[in-house]
Amino acid sequence: MKPFKNLSAVFTTLALTLPLALVSCGEDEKTDAADLATLTIMAPLLSGDAAAPAVDGEMHKAVEALSGKKLEITWVPNSNYGDRMNVTLASDKLPEVMVVQGKLPAFVQSAQAGAFWDLTGKLDAYPNLKAENKQVELNSSINGQVFGVYRRRDPMRAAVLVRKDWLTKLGLSMPETVDDLYKVAKAFTENDPDGNGKKDTYGLIVPKWPGVYATASPYDVIETWFGAPNGWGERNGKLVPGFDTPEFLEANRFVKKMITEGLVNPDFATLDSAKWDTPFFTGKGGIIIDVSSRGGVQLRLFKEKDPANYGSFVDMTGNLTGPDGKKHSYPTVGYNGFLAISKQSVPTETELKDVLTVLNKLSSKEGQILLNNGFEGKNFTVQEGYALGKSATDPAIKTVTNDVMSFAQIGTATNGYLAYIALPAGQAEKEQYEKRVKFHKADEASAVPNPAQAIVSKTQVAKGAQLDQIIADARIKFLAGQIDEAGLKAEIQRWYSQGGQQIVDEMNEQYAKIKK
Amino acid sequence: MGKVRLRTRLVRYRWLFVLLLPGLAYFAIFRYAPMYGVTIAFQDYLPFLGFSGSPWVGWKHFENLFSSPDFPRVLTNTLILALLNAVFVFPAPIVVALLLNELRLSVLKRAIQSAIYIPHFLSWTIVAALTYLLFALDTGPITQLMNGLFNARFDFLADPDWFRPLVIAQTLWKSVGWGTIIYLAALAGVDPNLYEAARIDGANRWRQMWHVTLPTIRSTIVVMAILLAGNLLDTGFEQIYLLTNSLNRSVAEVFDTYVYFLGITQGAYSYSTAVGLFKAVVGIILIYGVNWLARRFHHTGLF
Repeated sequence: MKPFKNLSAVFTTLALTLPLALVSCGEDEKTDAADLATLTIMAPLLSGDAAAPAVDGEMHKAVEALSGKKLEITWVPNSNYGDRMNVTLASDKLPEVMVVQGKLPAFVQSAQAGAFWDLTGKLDAYPNLKAENKQVELNSSINGQVFGVYRRRDPMRAAVLVRKDWLTKLGLSMPETVDDLYKVAKAFTENDPDGNGKKDTYGLIVPKWPGVYATASPYDVIETWFGAPNGWGERNGKLVPGFDTPEFLEANRFVKKMITEGLVNPDFATLDSAKWDTPFFTGKGGIIIDVSSRGGVQLRLFKEKDPANYGSFVDMTGNLTGPDGKKHSYPTVGYNGFLAISKQSVPTETELKDVLTVLNKLSSKEGQILLNNGFEGKNFTVQEGYALGKSATDPAIKTVTNDVMSFAQIGTATNGYLAYIALPAGQAEKEQYEKRVKFHKADEASAVPNPAQAIVSKTQVAKGAQLDQIIADARIKFLAGQIDEAGLKAEIQRWYSQGGQQIVDEMNEQYAKIKK
Repeated sequence: MGKVRLRTRLVRYRWLFVLLLPGLAYFAIFRYAPMYGVTIAFQDYLPFLGFSGSPWVGWKHFENLFSSPDFPRVLTNTLILALLNAVFVFPAPIVVALLLNELRLSVLKRAIQSAIYIPHFLSWTIVAALTYLLFALDTGPITQLMNGLFNARFDFLADPDWFRPLVIAQTLWKSVGWGTIIYLAALAGVDPNLYEAARIDGANRWRQMWHVTLPTIRSTIVVMAILLAGNLLDTGFEQIYLLTNSLNRSVAEVFDTYVYFLGITQGAYSYSTAVGLFKAVVGIILIYGVNWLARRFHHTGLF
């Protein structure tokens, strides 16, 4: 036994010192990051099955030429970007520029510990990085501190998709109010819109929503239509969570009524959101509340089945008017993550300026067209102000098209979108696109912003996901009839007592600071 | 004295020790070194600050865990599933192996064996997909069958009462066949003379099984039980996670999913490590406990 005791002592020491050695390796890397000629970037790869852009590829070369830097880009498959980001944050070896897809707790903690440059007020000196919309820039910040150049997205995307052929058959028109929504759903359920003589259809299709409260689920959108705050709202000068308002209850009573009367798919708590399209397309359900791009997805599905009349199956409208006769539209946050700059890899102000100058170039009109469309005349042509993609039979063109999909991820368009939009594929697509632009524009006026979007509370970071799950679960349980209204209220109280009250207090404290 | 003997031994068996090195290195690098990371359970770990820079907070995360309102629920759910596993899943392969052992037609026996091994090779994702298909509300074949038989409307996937039966059914379906292998091997080692002697003494098949077969495979069963004890709280992450939804979460959340939720989704590295460490400690206690029981009643434990 004795010799083994000695041996095990050796290995214990080894085991304890080895990781220490590994950890300390990472700490003196600061010098070579000072290399101004190259720029290291980490970005998500969205081109699906296609390979990551090649370093000697045409796109990579062109982006290098435009930025005047040698680029070292780590492309990480989008599906596990979040995990990889957490690992990279933990690795002590950050790229100079990192695409951060949202205010994930690990990022917030790192940023607040000083891992990234605070860009507040610094971006206005760069014409193409100066925020087109200051509210969005604030939304993307952490308590007013801007830690990245936000990647602009459309501020309004909410839409209601309805089976056009069913409406025509039953002599109904597109819903405009939530009452219409109920009536159309009722008719779709009871009046045999598919004409097969059986009562085998329903109105609204709702999938399982894996996220937490206030994540643009159909429930969240309907609550906003009813006048409930979008996530957080100001009541009597104080921030309150949206689920603690009478409008929240009213909206959910409305949804529950629809569910009880069978106007919603019965498996709403378990339907996989990847299969959301199926019931609509196969004619089991007739209404979807989601973002407008789903309209394009449905058109493509119907086009495969019925290329002649595919336009006659899908109609789409924007936000619906609430029971108070007013329209409360559900907006997006206006951005999809941001480009954060590591303080460790970019240690001085001079280098920071250098990096920002590159990002500024990439967001110019020329840069945006390159990143979002590619090369005019090579992989696309301009037609009526739209980009028309060239046929992808030529492998060289195909590579450029794939690479563009990836490079679009490092574009920010913080100064507004200046590149071309893809030409709609047919008449129906064009009509849908024009309609969509119109109702989004109209809905922007009645958008209900989340005043707490910029605020990150300490307790929220530590416990928020856990707490919000209480609300998300309670809402579904209430809708499914597992608990009654008293039960729902009790769950909301549980949210408060388990740390929610602390969040509310911290949010209000920060809110008062930001508002000043 | 020990030192001298170590040196002579090292010299005499040096090549054996060299052969041992890769194995030791494997355990040192891949098993023991990562355990250093467990220290973050006692820190407020921030990746940016690293292991050495994060502040030490002592037992804070454990205190939070034990005082957390989630703790009783997660512990109860884990224990109930563990208990169901021990009661239903553990004996199942033994029963199936005994049944197979009684089959005389070896072609049939082999065919059945092969058929029940197959589920073992399917991933939980596929099992979950099959479950969703078969038990879907109103449209799943099994749901329709049950609805017809009992004239009711079963909601297997969302009803919390059906969650545990579904999990156990999935585990049985997936693991029973594979589990029989070790028992069948043990059964193959039973001396045929014993059966002959028993038959001459007038024992019927039932008596033969009770007095010959079971005692000879008893040590295998005990070893399997001790091994099971160590994994008792591993209720399986994927399986549970894929079956969980808002309506059954109250019975579905177990330590494995809880750690994932806290550590990966919420970035509470230290807290989730503390939870994982607690689970591991319980696992060790269970192994030693069952081993002690086995030695006590059976005189042979695993160690």
